[in-house]
Amino acid sequence: MLDLLVIGAGLTGLTAAYTAAKSGLRVKVIAKGLGAMHWGAGTLDILGYLPGEEGAVKRPLAAISQLPDGHPYRLAGDVAGVLATFVALTEEIGLPFQREVGRRLTQINADSENLLLPSPVGAARPAFAAPVGQLGGDLSRPEPMLIVGFTGLRDFYPQLIAENLTRQGYPARAAFLPLAVVSGRRDNTAVSIARELDNPDQRQKLAQALRPLLKPGERVGLPAILGLDDHMQALADLQGLMGTAVFEIPTLPPSVPGMRLFRALEERLQRLGVRVEVGMEVTGANRGWRPETRDSQSPISNLQSPISIEWVETETSARPLKHRARAFLLATGGILGGGFESDVNGRVWEPIFNLPLTAPQKRSGWFRPAFLDPQGHPVFNGGVAVSPDFRPVDGAGRPLFANVWAAGGLLANFDPILERSLSGTAVVTGMAAAQAIVEHVKCEP
Amino acid sequence: MTKHLDTNILVIGGGATGTAVAWDASLRGFKVVLVERRDLTQGTTGRFHGLLHSGGRYAVKDPHGARECIQENRILRRTHAHCIEDTGGFFVVTPEDEGDYPDRFKAACDEIGIPCAEIPVREALRREPLLNPRLSRVFEVPDGSADSFLAAHATADAARRAGAQILTYHEVTNLIVDNQRVVGAQVYNVATGETFAIHAAMTVNAAGAWTGKIAAMAGIEVLILPSKGTMIAVNHRVVNTVINRCKLPADGDILVPSHTVAVIGTTSVEVADPEPLRIETWEVEKMLAEGNKLVPGLSQMRILRAWAGVRPLFQETYTGGGRDVTRKLALLDHEAREGVAGFLTITGGKWTTFRLMAEAAVDKVCEKLEVKRPCRTADTPVPGAEQGHYWLGHRLHEVEEQHLQSELICECELVTRAMLENAVKRNPTLTLDDLRRDVRLGKGPCQGGFCTYRAVGILHEMAQAGAYRPDADAWDAAFLQSPGKNREPLSVNRDRNTDYSLPNTAPPSPNLLLRDFLQERWKGIAPILWGKQLRQERLDELIYLSLMNADHLPDAELTSPSSDFYHYDATPQEDANA
Ligand SMILES: Cc1cc2nc3c(=O)[nH]c(=O)nc-3n(C[C@H](O)[C@H](O)[C@H](O)COP(=O)(O)OP(=O)(O)OC[C@H]3O[C@@H](n4cnc5c(N)ncnc54)[C@H](O)[C@@H]3O)c2cc1C
Ligand SMILES: Cc1cc2nc3c(=O)[nH]c(=O)nc-3n(C[C@H](O)[C@H](O)[C@H](O)COP(=O)(O)OP(=O)(O)OC[C@H]3O[C@@H](n4cnc5c(N)ncnc54)[C@H](O)[C@@H]3O)c2cc1C
Repeated sequence: MLDLLVIGAGLTGLTAAYTAAKSGLRVKVIAKGLGAMHWGAGTLDILGYLPGEEGAVKRPLAAISQLPDGHPYRLAGDVAGVLATFVALTEEIGLPFQREVGRRLTQINADSENLLLPSPVGAARPAFAAPVGQLGGDLSRPEPMLIVGFTGLRDFYPQLIAENLTRQGYPARAAFLPLAVVSGRRDNTAVSIARELDNPDQRQKLAQALRPLLKPGERVGLPAILGLDDHMQALADLQGLMGTAVFEIPTLPPSVPGMRLFRALEERLQRLGVRVEVGMEVTGANRGWRPETRDSQSPISNLQSPISIEWVETETSARPLKHRARAFLLATGGILGGGFESDVNGRVWEPIFNLPLTAPQKRSGWFRPAFLDPQGHPVFNGGVAVSPDFRPVDGAGRPLFANVWAAGGLLANFDPILERSLSGTAVVTGMAAAQAIVEHVKCEP
Repeated sequence: MTKHLDTNILVIGGGATGTAVAWDASLRGFKVVLVERRDLTQGTTGRFHGLLHSGGRYAVKDPHGARECIQENRILRRTHAHCIEDTGGFFVVTPEDEGDYPDRFKAACDEIGIPCAEIPVREALRREPLLNPRLSRVFEVPDGSADSFLAAHATADAARRAGAQILTYHEVTNLIVDNQRVVGAQVYNVATGETFAIHAAMTVNAAGAWTGKIAAMAGIEVLILPSKGTMIAVNHRVVNTVINRCKLPADGDILVPSHTVAVIGTTSVEVADPEPLRIETWEVEKMLAEGNKLVPGLSQMRILRAWAGVRPLFQETYTGGGRDVTRKLALLDHEAREGVAGFLTITGGKWTTFRLMAEAAVDKVCEKLEVKRPCRTADTPVPGAEQGHYWLGHRLHEVEEQHLQSELICECELVTRAMLENAVKRNPTLTLDDLRRDVRLGKGPCQGGFCTYRAVGILHEMAQAGAYRPDADAWDAAFLQSPGKNREPLSVNRDRNTDYSLPNTAPPSPNLLLRDFLQERWKGIAPILWGKQLRQERLDELIYLSLMNADHLPDAELTSPSSDFYHYDATPQEDANA
């Protein structure tokens, strides 16, 4: 029997599975589809903005105290400690996250400042740490930037990036190369070019074409295309050939940095004996117990102690499957991840365990008039309220189930996109919840 | 010296009616200038339901209007063939619509001369399998699906080729009245901020729901009852035929297939002003509930966007609004009515009758100017009509045949980079919304999630290359929509003399284009976000906020010609009666 079934294969589910498996639990991950990792920049974003405040957050760990009670970071306690575990994991999987090129990240504390990295429109995006491939773009560095795009690559606009960077005081200029330099295909995306650059010959060709464009003292920014499976070597090769810093800027999805991270984590999990099964939608839970009957058979009103879930069910093309485990971690990502459903009447619900949500149950309460309202939209701030050990709770703060935990984007009381805390909260709550689960499982007979 | 233009005829309004007046008048040999305060079709014409009426809808209640519809329906199928999809239409009797109306309807159609055949329900269900299986009767009529964006561009193009000057982003701020005669207008160039005068022998007020405001500039009262209608686009072509309920016109009783989507509408709500228009929660719910009666389960489908338009219903004196006010065209001769010469108002009517409205207006112009010049529009196809009727697969066919997949910058609507670039050169483009109207950019399921960024990047690259400036010589609406006919970017003629039609300014800031378009799209989707579209919206937030940090770009605090226009509350509201 499994000790832990993780539902959701985003950054939360994968880092949680890692933490639990590393502590000796038998773990499996099942998910409907891939998570937001495949859409994002692939950096570690702890906290970029405080809701309602104009400027970027400088010291994210120090700023956590300014977040409201009930914010996932406030629950997690030792945020810096958990983050250090994640950084160690990135080193283990060969995609080290750092804050300064070539320097292992060992110190994470309240004084640590956010980096500013160039975004695909040339904004300065706050991030706490990044894969080394993006660090050369650190905007606190003095070298001017040459941003190079490819004619015909529709997901990257170097002139726009360079102009916006320059206007903000970060000198940059733009140049183009023909796509034929890196690809023989007609239809190219960042992913297809990254695959090409897994081949060392193609790196040679790229460096050769880049060299005449470069002025002395410049560093080179490229779309995130420097290899998919062989990224670290591709990066090292290109920097060696060019004799200067080369860095990646993330592109429109699918995100090459996100794909690299997913693949490396998945492989690491496999070596720990954890299977990651994507394409499995969980549709219900427990023997005879269905979410819609929760009110009548409320685990709270009918029983002294909260009930245990025995299994969840997945819908596959062949037949429904039951997955039994001693503990379940729900990491389905809320609205973004597809973990919540909603309807025209303003109902928002969690379809697997029918957990109560804090989101407003009225469409008139969901949004604010301006899309870019600095306060964000209330519907995206709502989610699953949990206890300090990440168990979903009822209105009175009592755990709803004996063996269900929740972590990541589905949690209540924060908007990870508005805060730029998507990957940070995923890692911190995923790993912290897994730690709580490990303790629970080990204490059980 | 203050700038001014001299012309025979000044047309105010760049909707279906105004562009047709410019076309008709220039074909009759008049020198014409048309001014539109924003982009062509930015008014009601770009927010209508998309139905080329057969007249069936009005057959019982307004036989005169119905007769006009079927006559114009036949003409537009020739003159604007490529703007029309020959879908045909059904009038269906649902269990709620029994009674004698269907028989009266059939008799009225026969009397008026609207081809109308009752077909077996089973036959209708075979052709439209998603229709409510409990229909009791079905009548077939020659309705069609119309692209008002393309049609207005094509009409304006025809006018231009006949010598008319089309000035978009030029707003009339005042009429120049001299001794009880309108002799022209003060015009404000939205792009450059300059104001100048246009002098004309005749001024034709074709400002749709805004005609009352224009007339007031000459001290004349024109009573327009703005009647708002809300429509909703469903992410599927659930039907390929226009579906009408066979009953007296009411809310939510027509479903129109339109390009890749189907549109259910409309409501009819009297409003105080033509803008801003709010889409109320009850309207969305009502459209979905009524839609379910035509196509069961429609309300469960993915909804892409909601929008509202305002009918310019004209009334001599106020007697009450809504569906009972006449939809007939209103041609007001202000010399005869109020003693103000040189000034006509043409309003009311329907999109389907825009050509007829123009004919009536220009006939009156001839009378006033005491010349005899017959109308030629009914026999003069506009550029592009030679392509024949629109069909749904045309873009895909061209993309596949010519291997343009790698050129696509909007995968949902199959817009290529060259189409986008050429649209910018063919037509002054101050906002990305203009491109949405020109080439359907961002109208598909992701509502601009991917193409917004790409379009901003491309427009910026064009500006850097000095290629942003629209080239009046390149104006060619015939192939605006065609991936295959836009293989190469047009070359821009940069040496030509400045023309009033071209915004004579630096191209708009890419950061403002981005910000304004994001807000604009929010307006169209906030009323219908739930389920899958709510998730889609969250993905788009992830892209524009988390990945791009687009809300922290330089210029964020600046205003643009459209920023005030886009910022108003479109979020779902509490029901007044809930
Ligand atoms: C909800 C709804 C659904 C409809 N559905 C259909 C249908 O399915 N079939 C059909 O045949 N008809 C339909 N109609 C009717 C049809 O859309 C209108 O009759 C038609 O579009 C009106 O066109 P117009 O050119 O007269 O007005 P508009 O398109 O509104 O044009 C007026 C223009 O004047 C401009 N303007 C205003 N003030 C100024 C100024 N000061 N200076 C310069 N320019 C100015 C405006 O910006 C606007 O672009 C529908 C109408 C509504 C409201
Ligand atoms: C036949 C047809 C098919 C369509 N199909 C699709 C489709 O497939 N996909 C899709 O996405 N869309 C579709 N549309 C929608 C179309 O593009 C609409 O024109 C558009 O959605 C309407 O614009 P809007 O109201 O959302 O935004 P805008 O055009 O920007 O609307 C402006 C709004 O602001 C209000 N306003 C005006 N002035 C002011 C002011 N000064 N201050 C505040 N508010 C003001 C106006 O009254 C109006 O409601 C279709 C339209 C038609 C006619």
